[in-house]
Amino acid sequence: MDIVLAATSDEGLASLGKAIAFGVGVGLGAVGAGIGIGNIFGSMIQAVARQPELRGELTGIQWLGFALTEAVVFYALLGGLLAYVLV
Amino acid sequence: MSLVLAVEEFSPEHEFVLDPWVPFELGPIDLSINKAVVYLWLGGLVTILFGVWFMRFGLSLRPSRRQTTGESLYDALQGQIAEGNLPSRAIGRWFPYVASLFLFIWILNLIGFIPLPISSEKFHAFGLDLPTWGIYAATANLSVTLALAFITFGATHVEGVRYNGPVGYFKSWIPAGAPKPLLGLIVPLEVISQFMRLVSLSVRLYANMLAGHMLFLVMIGLIFIFSSYYLIVPSILFGTVVYIFEVAIVVTIQAFVFALLSAIYIGGAIEPEH
Repeated sequence: MDIVLAATSDEGLASLGKAIAFGVGVGLGAVGAGIGIGNIFGSMIQAVARQPELRGELTGIQWLGFALTEAVVFYALLGGLLAYVLV
Repeated sequence: MSLVLAVEEFSPEHEFVLDPWVPFELGPIDLSINKAVVYLWLGGLVTILFGVWFMRFGLSLRPSRRQTTGESLYDALQGQIAEGNLPSRAIGRWFPYVASLFLFIWILNLIGFIPLPISSEKFHAFGLDLPTWGIYAATANLSVTLALAFITFGATHVEGVRYNGPVGYFKSWIPAGAPKPLLGLIVPLEVISQFMRLVSLSVRLYANMLAGHMLFLVMIGLIFIFSSYYLIVPSILFGTVVYIFEVAIVVTIQAFVFALLSAIYIGGAIEPEH
């Protein structure tokens, strides 16, 4: 109901568009990071299954990769916030 | 009752507004003491006490439990962060830096998830104006993380120049065996990537902590936004899940990654060959 009301004025339409853009942007960023994090942990499981003695060395690399990938969502989030606030 | 009243008041971004408590400006630079500064002081104090308590006194050959904890932490930091990333000739100089970076950020992040009465908002009780209890992390502030990233950035280039000489160091930015005609493209990219490190290092930590706090606040705030009692159970449940995820995993990983990347950058500048 609120959404329908919001779309009837120019200002409401603009903020509606901003909200949708924000949501879509962060959502797409999360899709990419989700795929990436899945890849990292999948590879880690495979690697440890094949060579369990390397677990100690791989753990550090795994978390580094996790954090680097996860940060992508936050770049999307920041970009979305910037668009939301500034535009 | 009060649920309905709270609907208009709910705005999670309000938690991150910094009111100057002790205004202090140096020309255009605002050096006021605010919530983030108090949290930084607290974090620094706790980090120092942490280090002193675990590693500075009463050490013996038959270690107590306290000494074992301190030593295993030291061991983990040295094995995971310093060794293999910092060259062995620089490890004595830069291991203290990356280790204290880890401890400082870790403790700042952890303090950020403990409710503390450090806030500009007041509530009345027993005839006194007491500050409300709230959660806030100093690392959920871009200025703090950017300052930390600048230290690493400065250290990287100073050490690179000191160990390799200015010519040798800046030459090492150019990848070996790059074709001559492409140099005009590669060199600007390398320079930009050096500055992108600054952005990625600071924004990663900042956005992670900010998003963690926001997520938690919004989860709890859903009760007030929809002013429905049915939402109390699921939103407190999800809020708790977010909280545990943040405290158990994100807090440590972000501190670890910040210190690890600092070690990698500094090590890479000292020994650019590999």
